[in-house]
Amino acid sequence: MGERDGGAELGDHWLKVGFVAPALLLLLCVNVFPLFYSLWLSFTNADLIGSGAVQSVGTLNYSFLFIDPRYAEALRTTALFVVAAVSAQLVLGYGLALCLQERFRGKAVLLTLLLVPMMMPPAVMGVYWKLILDGSYGVLNHGLAFLGFGQPQWTTDPGLKLLSLLIVDVWMWTPFMLLISLASLNAIPTYIYEAAAIDRAGRWRVFRRITLPMSAPLVGLAVLLRSTDALKQFDLVMAITGPNDGATQTLSALLYQVMFRDGKVGMASAYSYVVLVVVIALASIFLRYLNHLQRRVGTAS
Amino acid sequence: MKNLRWMLLAVYGMLSTLPLLWLAITAIKSRVDSIATTAKFIPVGEGLGIEAGSVRFEATLEGFRALGEIYAGAAHPYYHYLLNTFLIGSLSTVAAVSLGTLCAYGFSRFRILGERDLLFFILSTRFLPPLAVVIPILMMYRSLGLPNTHLGLVILYTAFNLSLAVWLMKGFIDDIPAAFEEAALVDGYTRWQVFLRVVLPRALPGMAVTAVFCLISAWNEYGFAMTLNNRDAVTVPVYFAGLQGNVQGMPWSQVGAGVLLFVTPIVVFTVLTRKHLLRGVTFGTIKQ
Amino acid sequence: MKRAIGPAAVALLVSLWVVAAADADEKSLTIWWAQWDPAAGLQELSQDFTAETGVAVTVHQIPWGSYQDQVFLEYGNESTAFDIVVGDSQWIGRGATKGLYLELTDWIGGAIDLDGIHPLAKRYLMEYPTGSGKIWAAPCETDALGFAYRRDWFEDMQEQTTFRANYGRELTPPQTWKQFRDIAEFFHRPHGKRYGAALLSGRGYDSITMGFQPFLWAFGGAWGDPETFAVKGHLDTPAAAEGLQFMIELLKFSAPGGTNADYGGVLNAFTNGSTAMALNYFPFFPGIVEAMGDKVGFFVVPGHDGTRAISLGGQGMSISTKIPALQQALAKRFIAWFQQKSVQQKWITYPGAFTANKELLDSAAFRDAYPFNGTFAQSLDHLRDFWNVPVYNELLAVNARVLGEALDGSKTPQAALERLAMEHEMILRGAGLGR
Repeated sequence: MGERDGGAELGDHWLKVGFVAPALLLLLCVNVFPLFYSLWLSFTNADLIGSGAVQSVGTLNYSFLFIDPRYAEALRTTALFVVAAVSAQLVLGYGLALCLQERFRGKAVLLTLLLVPMMMPPAVMGVYWKLILDGSYGVLNHGLAFLGFGQPQWTTDPGLKLLSLLIVDVWMWTPFMLLISLASLNAIPTYIYEAAAIDRAGRWRVFRRITLPMSAPLVGLAVLLRSTDALKQFDLVMAITGPNDGATQTLSALLYQVMFRDGKVGMASAYSYVVLVVVIALASIFLRYLNHLQRRVGTAS
Repeated sequence: MKNLRWMLLAVYGMLSTLPLLWLAITAIKSRVDSIATTAKFIPVGEGLGIEAGSVRFEATLEGFRALGEIYAGAAHPYYHYLLNTFLIGSLSTVAAVSLGTLCAYGFSRFRILGERDLLFFILSTRFLPPLAVVIPILMMYRSLGLPNTHLGLVILYTAFNLSLAVWLMKGFIDDIPAAFEEAALVDGYTRWQVFLRVVLPRALPGMAVTAVFCLISAWNEYGFAMTLNNRDAVTVPVYFAGLQGNVQGMPWSQVGAGVLLFVTPIVVFTVLTRKHLLRGVTFGTIKQ
Repeated sequence: MKRAIGPAAVALLVSLWVVAAADADEKSLTIWWAQWDPAAGLQELSQDFTAETGVAVTVHQIPWGSYQDQVFLEYGNESTAFDIVVGDSQWIGRGATKGLYLELTDWIGGAIDLDGIHPLAKRYLMEYPTGSGKIWAAPCETDALGFAYRRDWFEDMQEQTTFRANYGRELTPPQTWKQFRDIAEFFHRPHGKRYGAALLSGRGYDSITMGFQPFLWAFGGAWGDPETFAVKGHLDTPAAAEGLQFMIELLKFSAPGGTNADYGGVLNAFTNGSTAMALNYFPFFPGIVEAMGDKVGFFVVPGHDGTRAISLGGQGMSISTKIPALQQALAKRFIAWFQQKSVQQKWITYPGAFTANKELLDSAAFRDAYPFNGTFAQSLDHLRDFWNVPVYNELLAVNARVLGEALDGSKTPQAALERLAMEHEMILRGAGLGR
């Protein structure tokens, strides 16, 4: 860690500020101020094509929140998506990490190859996956036909739309869980395994008593991180089904619909505030957990 | 048990890379072949007669060539949007890395009041859903004349990449021993000179890695780009998304070619920074 | 020499600036429209305007799916990139009440021949509120839904014999929906990748609304009362549900993915040769004729129990209020020029271009210009439109979701329409319309 400067001189104090202030100032203007502005907007009837004066409407927008059936459905869809996606990514990622425990030739190459999907632009890959998932000329259905299965309409069948979204998201983010699971497994010191071997502990016992609990903290961090990311899901929804589809309308998609299609800025601000509260709650859980980990291990490694 | 492991790895490896492979194959197909109802995945040279229903297709660079054309619904050819992405991405990256390095150095070397809280505040900005933030930002931007400008997105991307930049650079700077700076300070250099001459050169590799992640983040961004820059200064992801709904259908081979070109830098950078991927994707909170 | 560089540089810069300023004097007009054949035709036609006046005209085409979004997002800016927007008929309420469209009432009577315009075009494409006489757009394209069908299949002797044997009628273009159903069922052969019908059911913008309307109206339902804005009792009646149910059953005779097909999707389903009959707006048909020539015929949308009601389409040219007065004057000039009979006569020679001029619509020249023009002219008497109130876009959006659920089978027709009526009333009341 770097040395701490007591900063007794006035010059040094201003220097401190000088280093840190520009970044903080930008964040204040672009991140914090808009949140207050949004709060104000949520009590008005501001319109996207605002030609009339903006008027206050009290808590009208918030009360709409409760009677608008779309909001409850969006909450449900988003929750379902987050749970399903993150669980699948966790199981797959962790499982793959277990498989990659040994050293072998070309492991680094394979690993890098496996990690590529998570660096791809979600919006662009979403558009492109539409080709893969297309009912008539998508290669997935070609493969299924070859294996003798039917031709599901992935992007138009209402029962399958959310699944299509999940498929793409899992493809994209499993590498993320894989990477972190790998790091967490590698962090377990080998002497513990050696001790277990001396005690002639069975493989399952070792896994349950040593591997799982010792890798859990870091993996937990990854789950939290991935969940907050999945909450924001927008790019894939826009690309694959559009924002106005009942089966896949996540919270961000609903916000887009209300703000940009219905043109209701005030209402959208109110809708977004509840989302923001949830996000901030999750963020503080994450940060508290991170802090706890840092205290425990020195650094989170 | 061991075989199971290999099988799982092999199957997943295939499933994971197949879409990317298919992308490359689609890019060299003709328009008709890209929407054929039977799978075609073996490219052959031109001029050979191929029966319908065959798995072979004639490879062609028509998709790549078409990238220079203006497709209906767009105002410019693909390369214009690529340039926009490049401009906005590079400028915001330079700004983010600069501000981030300065800020990280401050947190690393000085004792700052509420440091832990400030750092966590910076990190929390990453969690905000873009769609929630864009609502007030669009209204703010409108009064400043910033929608549909390069500057508008550059400012936004810089701010949203700051958390990444600060946390990553703090990790890198923390790893630089302070002894060199101490010595230089004792020799009478000012703090600023020490920063420029002693720390910065050593932080350069870290800055490069941070720059890569910031660039990739800006390169891939869609939510803000789509809502703020829908008419001018449009980036590639928005361009691709806007091709949908075209009456003649999506030009899949052209899209394939364009996507291939678009993601190539990403793949290259991923390979170059593979040792730091863990740090990068967890915003610097987890190090190996 | 060195001393001369300074002044020379200044002179160069000044001259560049002067040249640039002179260039800026070159007048130009920007028109936004959706991406389809008529827009290409307008671009070509406006070259005549450029030849006459020296004003360059650019027609910028935007795919239908994002057309509405792009235009209204553009209106949020200080000034719009377009001078004229060829807005869809439903937009007119929003454009009028939000001060986006320039009011043309006082100007248009003197600039164009109002009497020569078809009354339906006047009613649906030009004025808001309907019947008030306030004008916000000049007609650009009249439009209607129609059917394209595989004439070669219908005229095949084998098919005719089999059809006659099974259904006891001749195999001819249907006049009623029941007849249509029989034909769709007859041609539906999924094993051979042949399908009976392609209907409009897409979930973006207005496809599903336009596709459902003919059934809603023909079976006796309505979107609501145009005076009181009551929706319950019009949209959620058993008759309306019967119409929706009928549409759902017809969709069983469509290709996979047929329950979510927009204009382009229906077009593709027909031009790839697999579908017998396809419902679409007439301006999409030139592409079909180009691809399939003589194999294709056209018929008017069928009716039910004596009622034939067809979705009106069409767009009018509106002038943006967010442009300088000079541009507005140029735009007026263009509109006046476009409406002239001589220009309209040339307009209808472009594929998919339709006029609002009464005389021309009745003329042989129009009917003979394209194989589907005659059918279009026949459709005019049965046209009706969707709500054109300012909040029409919210109504369209909720239609896409709820009607979509009915088509997907997640809701019964009656339940879907009841939910839809409730949501429509909520939206209308929220906008201050009706009680």
